[in-house]
Amino acid sequence: MKYLFFVFGIVISFAVTAQRKQITGTVTDSLGTPLTGVSVIEKGANNGTSTNNEGRFRISLKENAILEFSSVGYVDQVAAASSGNLHIVMPVSITTGRDVVVVAYGTQQRSKMTSSQSSISSKDFEAQPVSRLDQVLQGRTSGVQVTNTTGAPGGDVRIRIRGANSITGNNEPLYVIDGFVGADFNTINPDDVANIQILKDAAATAPYGSRGANGVVIITTKKGKSGKADFSVNSRLSSSKIIKTYDVLNASDFADVVNARAELDGTSDVFSPEQIKGFKENGGTDWQKEIYEEGLGQAYEMNVNGGSGNTNYFISGAYENQEGIIKNSNYKFYSLRSNLNIQLTKNFSTYLNINGFVRHNLNTFIQTGTANPVVQSLAWAPTTPVYDSSGNFTRKDPVGSQAYNPLAEALDRNARTDDYSVNLSGGFLYNITNDLSFNVQYGVNFDNGQYKNSGTRYVAENTYAGRSFGNTLNLQNTNTLHYQHNFNGIHDLDLTAVMEVQKDSWEGFNVNIQNLVYPDFIWNNLALADINGVGSGKTGSSLFSLFGRVNYSLLNKYLFSATIRRDGSSKFRGDNKYSYFPSVSLGWILSKEKFIDNLNLFHELKLRGSWGLTGNQAIGPYSTYSTYKNVSTAYNSTSFVPGIWINTAENADLKWETTEQKDLGVDMSFLDGRIYTNIDYFIKKTKDLLLANGLPNFIGGGSIMLNVGSVQNSGWEFTFGGTPVKAKGFSWNTNFNFSLVANKILKLSKAGGDDWSVSSGTNWGSEPDFRLKSGESMGAINGIKYLGTWKPSEAAEAAKYNNVPGDSKYLDVNEDHVIDGSDNTIIGQGLPKYTVGWNNTFNYKQFELNIFTQGVLGFDKYNYIYGMMVSTFGDFKQPTSADIKNRYIPGVNETSDIPAFSKTNQNIPLSSRFVSKGDFLRIKNVSISYNLPKANLKNIASLKLFLSVTNLYTFTKYSGLDPEGANTGSGSDVYQNFDYGSYPIPRVYTAGITLTF
Amino acid sequence: MKYKYLILFFLIVSVSGCKKFLEEDPQGLLVGDVALENVDGLNAQLAGAYSCFVQGWDIGFASAGQIAASMGGDDLTTHPGLNKAEFREFDQFNASAFNARSYYVWAGCYKIIQCANNIINNYNKTKGDEATIQQIAGEAYFLRGFAYYYLVRWWGRIPLITTAEFSPDLLKTPKSEVADIYKQIESDLTDAEKMVGDMKVDPGRINKGTVKAYLASVYLTETGWPLKDPSKATLAAAKAKEVIDDHNTYGFALFQGDYQKIFTDAYSEYIFAIMCNGNTVGNCFYGASARPSDESGGWDDYCAEINFFKKFPAGNRKNGTFSTEFEVNGTAKSWDEIGIKHPYYKKFRIQSGDTLSYVSNSPIIFMRYSEVLLTYAEAEARAEAPNADAYAAINAVRERAGLNDLAPGLNSADFVKAVIQERAWEFAGEWHRWFDLVRTETVKEANSNRDPNEIPLIGDPGDQKNWLLPIPAGDASYLGH
Repeated sequence: MKYLFFVFGIVISFAVTAQRKQITGTVTDSLGTPLTGVSVIEKGANNGTSTNNEGRFRISLKENAILEFSSVGYVDQVAAASSGNLHIVMPVSITTGRDVVVVAYGTQQRSKMTSSQSSISSKDFEAQPVSRLDQVLQGRTSGVQVTNTTGAPGGDVRIRIRGANSITGNNEPLYVIDGFVGADFNTINPDDVANIQILKDAAATAPYGSRGANGVVIITTKKGKSGKADFSVNSRLSSSKIIKTYDVLNASDFADVVNARAELDGTSDVFSPEQIKGFKENGGTDWQKEIYEEGLGQAYEMNVNGGSGNTNYFISGAYENQEGIIKNSNYKFYSLRSNLNIQLTKNFSTYLNINGFVRHNLNTFIQTGTANPVVQSLAWAPTTPVYDSSGNFTRKDPVGSQAYNPLAEALDRNARTDDYSVNLSGGFLYNITNDLSFNVQYGVNFDNGQYKNSGTRYVAENTYAGRSFGNTLNLQNTNTLHYQHNFNGIHDLDLTAVMEVQKDSWEGFNVNIQNLVYPDFIWNNLALADINGVGSGKTGSSLFSLFGRVNYSLLNKYLFSATIRRDGSSKFRGDNKYSYFPSVSLGWILSKEKFIDNLNLFHELKLRGSWGLTGNQAIGPYSTYSTYKNVSTAYNSTSFVPGIWINTAENADLKWETTEQKDLGVDMSFLDGRIYTNIDYFIKKTKDLLLANGLPNFIGGGSIMLNVGSVQNSGWEFTFGGTPVKAKGFSWNTNFNFSLVANKILKLSKAGGDDWSVSSGTNWGSEPDFRLKSGESMGAINGIKYLGTWKPSEAAEAAKYNNVPGDSKYLDVNEDHVIDGSDNTIIGQGLPKYTVGWNNTFNYKQFELNIFTQGVLGFDKYNYIYGMMVSTFGDFKQPTSADIKNRYIPGVNETSDIPAFSKTNQNIPLSSRFVSKGDFLRIKNVSISYNLPKANLKNIASLKLFLSVTNLYTFTKYSGLDPEGANTGSGSDVYQNFDYGSYPIPRVYTAGITLTF
Repeated sequence: MKYKYLILFFLIVSVSGCKKFLEEDPQGLLVGDVALENVDGLNAQLAGAYSCFVQGWDIGFASAGQIAASMGGDDLTTHPGLNKAEFREFDQFNASAFNARSYYVWAGCYKIIQCANNIINNYNKTKGDEATIQQIAGEAYFLRGFAYYYLVRWWGRIPLITTAEFSPDLLKTPKSEVADIYKQIESDLTDAEKMVGDMKVDPGRINKGTVKAYLASVYLTETGWPLKDPSKATLAAAKAKEVIDDHNTYGFALFQGDYQKIFTDAYSEYIFAIMCNGNTVGNCFYGASARPSDESGGWDDYCAEINFFKKFPAGNRKNGTFSTEFEVNGTAKSWDEIGIKHPYYKKFRIQSGDTLSYVSNSPIIFMRYSEVLLTYAEAEARAEAPNADAYAAINAVRERAGLNDLAPGLNSADFVKAVIQERAWEFAGEWHRWFDLVRTETVKEANSNRDPNEIPLIGDPGDQKNWLLPIPAGDASYLGH
């Protein structure tokens, strides 16, 4: 940081004066309208001016000087200062392009940015079938990690910008859609998006203060262009298929295995030789085949875009219906958007964006645990038929699983969400003077979220159903005063002042029933059943903020920016309600210096550095209080009694979690910008970590919200891209990005020390499967280290553990000859370290080929479901994995590290035996499109056909179905990459057509 | 024109000037001290305490956790294979701190204690009908004493927590001596005895007789290992006698109908039983848990040991206790023909409704009237000598079981032995036998003559370390092992 100031000092002193001449001129846009306030600078000198109200300028220059013209929203121009009157025409730059970008509470010229911010424009993803915004963010820019926690359409994803700062669980970035802060990206149709900005360093995110610490994603929707109406119609059809299934025992092999275990146990054979013969001849049930199917999808989108008189409009509608690959699961959405801009008077304009979004998710939340078709398809015996003799589902598996029929789990258990949202954002913009403007914006975000669930007697002991209903209302008002002036073309000043208020509220209720009189009515007639739970609730929170920013640039070369935000939040008490979040950043455009320019190497070379503080208040309302939760009990067998439990303990001193971030970056481009690269290094330190800290059972369990310690994320980000080949009829465009984030817990302050074993609560028995320890990364996997099987030569040593050769051998850390909790060590790292993305577009005549590859490296996964399949714990009574055939068999196969069937063997579920490397590289998407030649088209502007395959191929050594999916949930970063049978990620084939006229 | 719009601006901006804008106003969420201000709140906290018993596989006594933790007794065992490792560990004297089965009991008992502490420390401030408040507080004292009684017998030295309110110091609570835990239990039950009414408010709650019966049980346990205080026998006998003498006042009686029905709805027999209802507040150790895999949907969690079954005296009690015939794929098979060749517990079968289910409305029975009779008989013999009342008490139980009266004229030691044996038969599988073996230091003896078809032992049943369970791994990081 310090050295940047130093460099600044030196460079400023280079400015010299020489012989001069007077030049005058006018600057207009392409239509001839004069442009005011355009910066006019003599290249390589400390000399400049700006245009007046008529677009005129006057400047005295050296001989042979070069003039540079720049203005926000227009393409930069360069001109030789010949004598006489210059007329410079500056075309409007397309805001989706590289010149002007949307930043927090405003816009900025890209060349003058001092922050680390990446952009994705609609052009970057239009070649691929995209139905949700997370697919756009995935792999396209450095510093962003997107992981699908489930392969279900419309299912959960985990998005992280520059790692995970917080251990409370919420590390999701902040989404800002058309100025609405804290929006839900699920409620936006990707086809409506004009561009996406990803704000990474503190200079970029500090304007969002207490909500900026996880990075910010700013989404700007399309606006109407002046001129005649353009229609665009877009339609896609797709087919999804399962990529891989587990290798399971067939029925006769399974029967042999079950009998082999029975023989060892001294119990009678479960299957007779005749039965086994029957299985050999007729096979058994392939449960995986039973639950999966091909998922068909269709998507249609249409928009019209234009403007006449004072009004511009963009209106769009979309519908998508995507079936999942597990039977009876699907995702549907409907969206309607209208974006209007109206110029009311010369200085006064108004705008209104309306977005209506409806989405339905049916059974797309299948993620983990016993009540899950994926898990049961691996637990149920292949010897058990799907249906019983009367044609109903087989209700109980006599051999394999203790839980319900896998196909019944898919078909008879329903969990459905219906979301109805309306987002409005609108406002007025008043240009008080040419330099000063005032913008009042308000936003209303309304969401009605409904959850409905039901189950028949094939998936529950008593039929059940339930409904819940919740309304969320977010209101926001943002008032922005903006001043911009160029003094003598040398000093460019840009000031922003903002006052913002936001109020969030939620209220809802739910009813759960059991023993339905008419089970077919499911959740539609709740009265005809036993009511076993009714609930309702209400929460509210509010935020009051002030924000100010100064952007200053000297000679368009030396850049300075400072911001400060003060947030007041209702979630904290007393003085802790308020906090300040400042940032400072500097930039130096070296390519505008003569000594660099003379190298004739760089098109652009910029150094930048930033420092700032951001916060995280991502805790629920009332978190500082001791609260109770509702429980229910029975004093007789016919009714319920409501009861309460102490749930959370009070902590009045709770305060914001604060992240301090430093960033150093360099932006370079070569060959007139054909090749570019950006490199950033950052360190983020988060202190006063908020943690819902689980309390031990002996004091009653529950949790307390604490500020507990600090976490550091540091790393590198590289982007490299450009157009390496641009020949006649052929071009190749490429963008490669790579990010490294090293996460480290610096300190944990809590009674009980700085090393905590914590439980994700998803494993069988809620044992501590993860570990938080200072010096280690978040997501450290806790367990016993597995050393293979005891070999015959180790019989004496094995005996000390009451084991025999063929039994599991574990690392006895404290050498007490007992394997217990004190032998737990960190046996893996669940938090990924590296992310790679590589996007390539090849154009040949009318064809375009896009190949997009993505990878996540440097992490381990707990393949818990495999553990269940091979070593029978939880509700798996028998092994189902085909690997069990390769087990240690005394005298036959003594090299195997799969333990023998033995009375003395101990299978520890949470051991490194089931942890495997998760690294993967995936050809995420390949699409080929064909644009019909214009000559062949009548009355239409363009017609494009495309074919694409998503998840074409994956390079991985992971032992489970999918290294990318299968996490315990999207929320937590402490508990991740724990694979307990989540919805597999499918391969999707898509064909589509886009028509504009 | 433009002023019109400017006015609009200021209207919008002024909306947010309100001073209370950043204050929280929780509605519908129970926060802080208001919870126990009135009797209804106190009642809700008591229901919270009772709910700790029936939280499925989260915490409490609704799953087979307590049965697993009692498998060191000679009455219970499990399947030698399948996914029954957690059950087997107890049967083999090899329990691990990771064992989730004993965790359910541990966490459930301590949650009961937290709920009870909240009532005990706040009922003085509660406004409302004094008699109701006394009843609730009395039940809270009982539940706290009850929970510590279970904890101390399974884990020995444990932390003694008497506050519901969190403070960081609470995390550093050391483990108390066993004698101190018993002092607390006696004191809690004595307080409860003064406050609780004569009749149960609901079948799933308690009355004064319940408290006295538990006091008697606690005193009797204190005469054995590890406290070995013989003076408590007199107290035990006196308390048990009070219950017997006033059994009509408390509504207790020895149920005389079909023996098996004792385990479904013989309410007069129940000194203390938790009631269950449906999926959410269900009993999950009757049914599938107690049936063999050979029968459709059986889980094979637990069954009877072979020698225990063989020695069990014949009669209607034996018939009502064990399942010996099973329907396997439509044909009847006897217990020695099915998979693991063990008899199962008929008393834990679901008797009406969906008998294949794993969840039912069957009560979770902690103490029956027959136990009060046997506690009295044993205590009387330990205090002085077996008198006529002691004989009457044990013979009432034997009579119902279809057995002859106990031989008269036994000395104290033989009489006590006979009672302990009677308890084994009467409470077979009901997680009493293990505690009896521990307090009488006969764990090794009881496990010395296992049928060859039983699971081999790993740990030494004679080692007193194996008479206590390891503290569950999560809490052990605060408490040590």
